[in-house]
Amino acid sequence: MKAWKYIGLRLITWALVIWIGVTFVFIIPRLFPSNPVENMISRITAMSGTMDAIQVEALRRQLRVQFGLDGSLWEQYTTYIKNGLFGFNFGPSLMNYPTPVGEIIGRYLPYTLFLSVTSVIIAWTIGNFIGLLAGFRKNKRSSKILEGIAITIYPIPYFILALVLQIVFGFLLGWFPMTANILTTAKDRGVFFASLLRNSVLPALSLLLVGTGWWIISMKSLSSSIAEEDFVQYARYRGLSERRIGASYVLRNSIISQVTALALSLGGVFNGSLITEIVFNYPGVGKLIQQAILSSDYNMILGTITISIIAIATATLVADLIYPFIDPRIRYS
Amino acid sequence: MRKLMALLLSAVMLLSLGTALAGETTVVGTPRNETLIVEMQNPTQTAGQFNPMMQGTNMGTGIQQLLWGNLYEIDTVKGEQFPSLAEAFPESNADFTEHIIKIRKGIKWSDGVDFSAKDVHYTMNLMLTNPDARSHSYYQQIFKSIELEDDYTLKLTTKMSFPLLAESIGVLIWGNDLRVVPEHIYSKLDNPLTFKDSNPVVTGPYTVKQYDELGNWIYYELREDAQFSDIGVVTGTIPKAKHILFQTFGDDATRTMTMLNNLVDIMVEVSPENWEVMKTNPKAAMWYPEYPYALFDDPCSKGIAFNCAKAPFSDPNFRWGLALAMDFKEVSMNIFNGAGRASVLQIPATASMQELYYKPMEEWLENFELEDGYKPFNTNYAREMAEILAKQGIEMPDDDALLDDMFGIGCWKHDPEQATKLLQKAGLELKDGKWFYEGQPFSFTCNILADTEAQAGRGGEAAVDQWRKFGLDVTPVKMTHTNFTNAESLGEFDVGAYWPSCAIIRNLYRQINGWDGDLIKPIGELSTGGNGERLNCPELTAKIHELSGVSSQDERSYELSTEILKIFVKELPFIGFHSGTKFVPTNNTYWTNYPTSENPYNGPWWWWSAFKYILPHIEPVQ
Repeated sequence: MKAWKYIGLRLITWALVIWIGVTFVFIIPRLFPSNPVENMISRITAMSGTMDAIQVEALRRQLRVQFGLDGSLWEQYTTYIKNGLFGFNFGPSLMNYPTPVGEIIGRYLPYTLFLSVTSVIIAWTIGNFIGLLAGFRKNKRSSKILEGIAITIYPIPYFILALVLQIVFGFLLGWFPMTANILTTAKDRGVFFASLLRNSVLPALSLLLVGTGWWIISMKSLSSSIAEEDFVQYARYRGLSERRIGASYVLRNSIISQVTALALSLGGVFNGSLITEIVFNYPGVGKLIQQAILSSDYNMILGTITISIIAIATATLVADLIYPFIDPRIRYS
Repeated sequence: MRKLMALLLSAVMLLSLGTALAGETTVVGTPRNETLIVEMQNPTQTAGQFNPMMQGTNMGTGIQQLLWGNLYEIDTVKGEQFPSLAEAFPESNADFTEHIIKIRKGIKWSDGVDFSAKDVHYTMNLMLTNPDARSHSYYQQIFKSIELEDDYTLKLTTKMSFPLLAESIGVLIWGNDLRVVPEHIYSKLDNPLTFKDSNPVVTGPYTVKQYDELGNWIYYELREDAQFSDIGVVTGTIPKAKHILFQTFGDDATRTMTMLNNLVDIMVEVSPENWEVMKTNPKAAMWYPEYPYALFDDPCSKGIAFNCAKAPFSDPNFRWGLALAMDFKEVSMNIFNGAGRASVLQIPATASMQELYYKPMEEWLENFELEDGYKPFNTNYAREMAEILAKQGIEMPDDDALLDDMFGIGCWKHDPEQATKLLQKAGLELKDGKWFYEGQPFSFTCNILADTEAQAGRGGEAAVDQWRKFGLDVTPVKMTHTNFTNAESLGEFDVGAYWPSCAIIRNLYRQINGWDGDLIKPIGELSTGGNGERLNCPELTAKIHELSGVSSQDERSYELSTEILKIFVKELPFIGFHSGTKFVPTNNTYWTNYPTSENPYNGPWWWWSAFKYILPHIEPVQ
C-alpha cells in the first residue's frame, strides 16, 4: 500500500511539474517584445528591400491568420494543451510554415540523442570508474595521475576545448571534418553510418572529455568519504578483498547520487548541446531552440521545450522509482 | 603494448589516407576541381523543400540562384532591370491598367517540356486565387485578371493605374516572389502550396542532385541541356561548374579555417577582422586587391534613424544638430577602419547611385543651407579620410575622382558649435555642460542590432560615442534582430541604427513609398511598410503620390526622385553613414574570374537570384 502511495505521489508531482513548466513556456515567449509575424515580414523585407507598403499590410493580415495568432490567448493555450501536450502536435513551425514542428524536431532529435546519449553514458561509465579508483585507492600513484588529468581538463571552458580539438584534428591534421556534413540521404546505409561516425568524433570527444572530468571529480569525492566509513573498515577487518570492498561497499553506496545525476543528464540531452552544435555546425535540437527563440517561433519553442520538460521530469521520476532497487535502505515510504 | 601501438598506427594511417582522398573530393564525393563550393548563409530547416510557392522554402540556399527564374532580373552594376523569362518589358496602355507581357521563346524546363506563357499564367493565377499563397493579398489588391493571349503572350489587367509592373513582379534586390513553376506538373497537384517538390523541374541551369536532410548542404548538378535553361537562352553561354555545392560552415572561426584550407570557393560575408586572417591565404581574394578590400555597393546604406513622432526627435533642427555633433571621419574609422562610401542622401552611394544621383546633386549639396544659412556639406571629406589612412601607412590614390569613388563625394561637417545652436533651437538647454529638455535632464537611447549586420551595429556604437563626447546623455540598447525590428515598426525607440535607406534602380518609388505620411500609424501600432520613423511631411507625401503614377521610363520619375531626395536632406529623418559595405571573399584555388573591382561585370551577390548570371563567367583554374 505504501508503495502505491509513493508511486502515486511521485506521479502527481511529475504531472504538476510538467503542467507548470509548459504553462510558463507558453506564456514567456508571448511576453517577448517581438512577434513572429513581424519577424517574418522583416526577414522578407530585409532580404528583398522592395516590398511596398500595400504589400506589407497585406502580408501581415495573411500571416496572422495562417499562424493562428488571431484567437484569444486562452484559446491558443487550450489548443496547445489539447494538441501539443496530449497529442504532441505543436502545429506548424512559424518560421518554416507550413512544415510541422514535429517533423522538424523528428529530423534533428535522433542526431542529438546519438551524440549526447552516447557521450553521456560513456563519460558516466569511465568517469565513475576512474573516480571510484581515485577515491577508494587515493594513495596509489595511478589514482593521483588520473585525478590530476581530470582536474586539469574539467575547468577548461568547453568552447576552448572544442576549438582546440577542431583546430588540431580538423584544421591542422585534417583527420576529421571541421564542420559536420553528414551524408543523410546516402542510399548506401554503410556510407551514411561511416559519415555519421566521422562527423561525430570531434563533437563527441569534446563532450566526453569535459563530462568525464566532472564524473571523476564527483565520484572521487563521494567514494573517498565512503571509504572512510566504519562499515568499510569493518569489511576490511573481516578480511574481504579490496576488489569486493570497492564493488560491493564503496561503489554501491556512492553510485546512488550518480544515478540521479545520470538520469538528469539523460533528461537534459533533449535540450541539445548548443555550443557543440555551434562550434562543429552539428545538427541538433539546441540550435533549433536557439533559432526558435531568436525568431519568436512560438510553436517551435513550445515543441522543443515541452519535450525537454517531459524528458527531465520523466527521468527524475524514473530515478525516484528505481532508488529502492539500487539501495535497499530506501523504501517506498 | 606492441599490438596496441600497431593498432593505433594503423588507425592513424587509415585516417590519413581518408584525409588524402577527401582532399580530392568534396563531402558529396564530386571531384573538388569540378565543384564550385558556395557558402550557404544558414542551414535550412526545410531541407528537401524546393517549391518556391510553398512558404518556408529557404530561397537563399541556391534555390532561387540556380533553380527558378524570374520574369525580370537586375543588373546590379548598372542598376537596371532586364528581361529574363520575359522577352521584353511590359507594354502598357495609356493609363497603365492593361499590360501585355511577351514571354521568351526557346527556354525548356529541365524535363524537356517547352517553357511558355502558360507557366507564367498558371503561377500568377495561383497567387491571385489561392488564399494560402504568400502574395495572394497583394495580388488581389493589384490585379483584376491575368489572361493568356497565346502561348507566349500574357495580358494583365490591374485594378488601378500601375506603371511599375516590372519593378513589382521582377527582381530589384535579392529576389522576387514571382518565381515561375511548371504548369504541366503543378496544375496536376491537389495542393501545389504544400507540395515540397524534392526533385524539382526547373528553368534554371542546375537541378537538385542530393541534399542533406538536416539542411547543412545541397548539391546541384548542371543540366545536360543547360543551353535551354534561362541562362543558356538569355546569355548564349552556360556555367562551367558541373557541380555546385551550397554548404554551411558554422561559426566565424570555422569559416576562417575553411577559407584557409581552400574548402570553400565563395563566401557570403565576413568581418574585416576575419578577412585579416583569411588573406594570409594567397588564393583568397576580395573585391579590391588592396585596401579597402570591401565592396560599397550593397543597396542599403547604414546610419542613424530618428523616431520623428517623438519630441524632440520630431524637430529637424534636433536631427541636424545630432548630425553635426558627429565627426563622420571618426565614425567611419570605428566602423570598418575608414572603408565605406559616404551616403548623405536617403539612398546608398552605390556605384550606380553615385552616378545617377550623388554626382549630379553634388553642387546642390554644396550649396544646401539650413534655415540660418549654414552650409553643412563637407566637400573635402574624401581627402581628409585619405590623409588619416595615409598616416596609417595605407597607400592612397592622389586622384580626386578616385578618392570620391572610394569615400564618396562628401559628408556632413563636424561642427559642435553649430550643433549646439541647432539643439537650442529645438528647445534644448545647455546648463553647466549638461543638456536639458523642458526643464528636465535630457537623455535618450539608441537601439543597436547586436547579433548581425556588423556595419550597422558598429555605426550605432560609433554614433553613441560621438554624442557622448559632445555632452549628450545617450544609452546604447543592444537588441536581437526581432526585438530591434519590432521596436522600429512599433515606433518604440528614440534613435536607432536602422537602415530605411535602400535603392537600386533610377526610379526610387519602390524603396521610398513607405514614407507616405498617409500611412503613418500611432506609436505602439505596427507601421506600414517602411515608415517606422513616422516622418509626417506633406511635401514628401505629395511627391510620393505623384511618383506612384509615373512609369520608370518617364523622365519625370527621375525628376521626382531627385526632388524627393532633396526633401529628405532638409528633413533628415535618417543620417546615412555609408552605403552597404560588404567583405565578400572568394578563393582562386580551383575557380577564378569572379567579379572584382578590376573586372566588375556584376556585384558579388551570391545570395541574390542574379547569381545565375554570374556563373557563366566563373572559370576553372587550369
